[in-house]
Amino acid sequence: MMRRRNAILPAAALAAAAALGLSACSAGADSGSGGDSGGDKPTTATIALTGTPTNLDFTTTAGSAIPQALMSNVYEGLVELDQEGEIQPLLATDWTISDDRTTYTFTLQDGVTFSNGDEFTADDVKFSFDRVKTDWVSSLKAKMDVVDSVEVTSPTEVVVKLSKPSNAWLFSLATPVGAIFSEDAVDDLANTAVGTGPYAVEKWTPNESLVFETRDDYWGEAPGVEEVTLKYFADANATTNALQTGDVDAIANLQAPELLSSFESDDAYTVTTGTSSGEVSLSLNNQAAPFDDVRVRQAVLYALDKQAILDTAWNGYGSLVATYATPTDPYYEDLNDKYPYDPEKAKDLLKEAGQENLDISFTVPTRPYAQAVSEIVVSQLADVGINATIESAEFPAVWLDKVFTQHDYQMTTVLAVEARDILTVFNDPNYYIGYDNSKIAPIAEKADAADEEGYVDGMKQVAEQIVDDAASGVLFLFPNITVSKAGLQGMPENAIIEALDLTNLSWK
Amino acid sequence: MTTQQVPTPPSQAPRTTAISAPGNASTSAAPRPGKRRLSTTLIIGIILIGLVAIAAIVSFIWTPYDPTQAMPADRLEGSSLAHLMGTDRYGRDVFSAMLYGARITLFVGVISVGIAIIVGTPLGILAGIRGGWIEEVIMRTSDIALAFPALLLAIMFSAVFGASTLTAMVAIGIATIPGFARVARSGTLQVMTTEYVLAARAASQSRFRIAVRHVLPNIIGMVVVQSSVSFALAVLAEAGLSFLGLGTPPPTPSWGRMLQESQQFLGTEPMLAVWPGLAIAIAVMGFNLLGDGLRDRFDPKLNGSRG
Amino acid sequence: MAIRILINLARFAVTYVVATVVVFLFMRLIPGDPAQIALGVNATPELLEQTRREFGTDRPLIVQYFEWFGGLLTGDFGTSYVTHNDISPLVIDRVQVSLILVLTAMVVALLVAIPLGTWAAVKHRNFSGVVIGLGSQVGVAIPGFLAGILLVIVFAVGLGWLPANGWTAPAEDFGDFIRRLILPVVALASVQGAILTRYVRSAVLEVMSEDYLRTARAKGLSKNGALLKHGLRNAAIPVITVTGVQIAALIIGAVVIERVFVIPGLGSMLLDAVGNRDMLTVQSVVMVLVAITLILNLVVDILYTIIDPRLRRSA
Repeated sequence: MMRRRNAILPAAALAAAAALGLSACSAGADSGSGGDSGGDKPTTATIALTGTPTNLDFTTTAGSAIPQALMSNVYEGLVELDQEGEIQPLLATDWTISDDRTTYTFTLQDGVTFSNGDEFTADDVKFSFDRVKTDWVSSLKAKMDVVDSVEVTSPTEVVVKLSKPSNAWLFSLATPVGAIFSEDAVDDLANTAVGTGPYAVEKWTPNESLVFETRDDYWGEAPGVEEVTLKYFADANATTNALQTGDVDAIANLQAPELLSSFESDDAYTVTTGTSSGEVSLSLNNQAAPFDDVRVRQAVLYALDKQAILDTAWNGYGSLVATYATPTDPYYEDLNDKYPYDPEKAKDLLKEAGQENLDISFTVPTRPYAQAVSEIVVSQLADVGINATIESAEFPAVWLDKVFTQHDYQMTTVLAVEARDILTVFNDPNYYIGYDNSKIAPIAEKADAADEEGYVDGMKQVAEQIVDDAASGVLFLFPNITVSKAGLQGMPENAIIEALDLTNLSWK
Repeated sequence: MTTQQVPTPPSQAPRTTAISAPGNASTSAAPRPGKRRLSTTLIIGIILIGLVAIAAIVSFIWTPYDPTQAMPADRLEGSSLAHLMGTDRYGRDVFSAMLYGARITLFVGVISVGIAIIVGTPLGILAGIRGGWIEEVIMRTSDIALAFPALLLAIMFSAVFGASTLTAMVAIGIATIPGFARVARSGTLQVMTTEYVLAARAASQSRFRIAVRHVLPNIIGMVVVQSSVSFALAVLAEAGLSFLGLGTPPPTPSWGRMLQESQQFLGTEPMLAVWPGLAIAIAVMGFNLLGDGLRDRFDPKLNGSRG
Repeated sequence: MAIRILINLARFAVTYVVATVVVFLFMRLIPGDPAQIALGVNATPELLEQTRREFGTDRPLIVQYFEWFGGLLTGDFGTSYVTHNDISPLVIDRVQVSLILVLTAMVVALLVAIPLGTWAAVKHRNFSGVVIGLGSQVGVAIPGFLAGILLVIVFAVGLGWLPANGWTAPAEDFGDFIRRLILPVVALASVQGAILTRYVRSAVLEVMSEDYLRTARAKGLSKNGALLKHGLRNAAIPVITVTGVQIAALIIGAVVIERVFVIPGLGSMLLDAVGNRDMLTVQSVVMVLVAITLILNLVVDILYTIIDPRLRRSA
């Protein structure tokens, strides 16, 4: 993946680069001394976000806010995903896979340093991968379970042996579990983040802002801005106000599509509505009445006019998918026709199940998307005789505790942002949805071990089975709405993994 | 912490009426001789509250539409004969929601002020009659309660019990108790020095009897004034809590939450904010004016009997 | 007078200590184990145990209370389980923001309310007095956040005169600090100004009806002269009380304005901490808020003692 080239390489950085043997490095950060060829082009950018990280340690703190800020920008993995969802080399220049597809040999980028000055070597890869198993407490750590051993064969070569072939593993290296840490810099991950990325954390003010500065000694091509500030807001209205008055230069992942109209008609702003890996779910507790009955689950799916939900709740932005397989996944298939909007059929199914005039509780996390969909979902369910009572659950604390941990819910909605998460969600009967995975487990296992084609085929079958069983619904696929000043380029259009990649930012 | 002992003219101690001010608003508060008649303040107050009350009562019998029924095809429509105040983002009828919201507003006010009256007034009378360590304990407890405004309590309660109309009402109610305790106590202290109470005590009537026979009838006016003023505060507090997401949860219509939800539409559909904003202002003004008007009638200092 | 102040101080201390116990116990009611919340859903029992030890939540309540209480006294609130940061410096930052915001707003409100209220009282039978009275009624009836939102729409987004939100520390860039302070202060001061105007008006009206004022006038002082000489001191008492009460209520009450204007004040810190179930931070912020309220009450009491000569005897 090419990064933007910056014309000027300050002498200091050049010297440092030479000293470290960075022959491959062809760019450095602009020192901002004023001799910039761009004249009065801004050298900083401020990005507005909602959803504040509580600290900087995603190895022990759940939630997507931390990886969103730090992955790609501060931390890098051996590979990364491009905007189409394809795996591309990053810290690994290339890799070979053995014939039995259990041994991966990575050749590493030479001349890479961490922001604390440490050199990046194969030892750091081993350290980081091993550490996932020993020190991580995030639910993401399971993705490294398949790793049998990590062996350092030379400073720039590392061999990873898997216990069984896995198509999902290499992909997961582009996600937070693949982040490479420096052994000397993991003592206070909550407050300091040291990675090999183009930015270093300059200042971290909890609940307010995170300031990145470009590194002079970055191994790759430097971003087109020197300093990026991530500014955190409690709600979307404040972000658009801040953009309109020039306090911020862009809004990433805008959570209030109704506010877009004033920007779309204004040439001073660029609006992009890309796709994301985030499904706004309608999760049904498969292990408790009444949703332990497949007919009742199906009735709910037939009762929902999802296009109307998308139009009213999110102003029509986003797209409809049937389950946790999204158009950027290789195994995506359009399964929307399985449950067309059919209230009569829903009523019939409810009758069949003996659940006419059903009373259920609907646990709604305190997030804009959830509040927005909840009222229209309740109204549509009422039309078929399901009386859903909304119970607000503070997100994340209460929702995680009640729904995710204790499974104390009947129906809920949540934005599942993790990429390629269909197996995480459904191939585990102990997951909060409690889907009986006996049918998909063998298919999934075979698919993971199969070749590329077999993987895609198998995963398609898995998705279809899940939809047939009405395991849970997806209301819509979350759009990645970005609004930026017309002069600011390089805001990522899609949000395929949690990372908000700011490495391509530049001013026109 | 003894500000409650300070004589604070006019009317009752201001700290009990944190937002609504003493004194009547637009009409004269100066000594006014003659017969008590309904002041303009009182009339306007009663009319405004009447509007809210009628809306609330009507909502029990009839609303043009089910206020929670979404009709996506009709979303974000302006005012029309079919929808007097237009429709919201879900195509729900705003007029129906406004009627229903009046019910919630009054409900929150009645319960929270009710809690405060039932707990605060007897405690205040007790403190005033008994004095001594009982008074000290009651008034110190009241001081502690005063250090926890409704908003702070509501935030703490929502952390423990989750946000709901109930936690909001209880939080507002508890925060309102000290006001009633103080009003009742200072009223009681005044009554206790009157000659007929001194006479009753001399006749060794029981304290309970004195409280019921002499104190209560004499302070009831002050309690009513305090209730009206507290009601206005409760309406504002509920709106603020709903704005923070700590009030009435959806889909039950609440003016505060309607206002909060309308924020996204200020550029395109400003009327969505105007209606609930207006309704809240009407309710708050109504109760404040009622309180002012009643104070004129009940407070002997200001109604012209002096001087 | 000194005795009265000493009594007040003693009451302040007792009230504060009782409040710490109430808050501490109340916080234990909050569902969820801090260790579990911090570690997320896939934590192993051993790790949970270890984290509880680290947090100190495995010890008896009484030990936890006294450690926390000791910390409060020395200004060390401990380290947050969630942010892994020391709480005290953050709280101190936030207190400064809240105090700057609220005190500025109250000063502006008083500057508006004292002349307006006095005018409305003196001219209470005139048109201008009635208009002020009506205006203040409307002012108190408008929710503060609505005032804030409207100000942003008009003056920031619409006219572009001022920033819509955000906060800059005065030491960082004083000009920017002022520009960002204006709208939230106006939002707070418009409501508070209306409240105070009503108090000033009724306090002055009250004073005008007092006997001694008539006596003073009988002695030959002009109406305004009498008002200035004798009235203001008496009118000041309820106004001081309500100002103290309002400042105390606003330190937390400004949270809605902080939300609208994205100001990092104490109220926002409390809401964020509640959202993250950062209990140590919640209870510390609550106690700071309570302390501020109680200190304000104390100050108001002492001011009374100084202003009102009657109280010097009667305490």
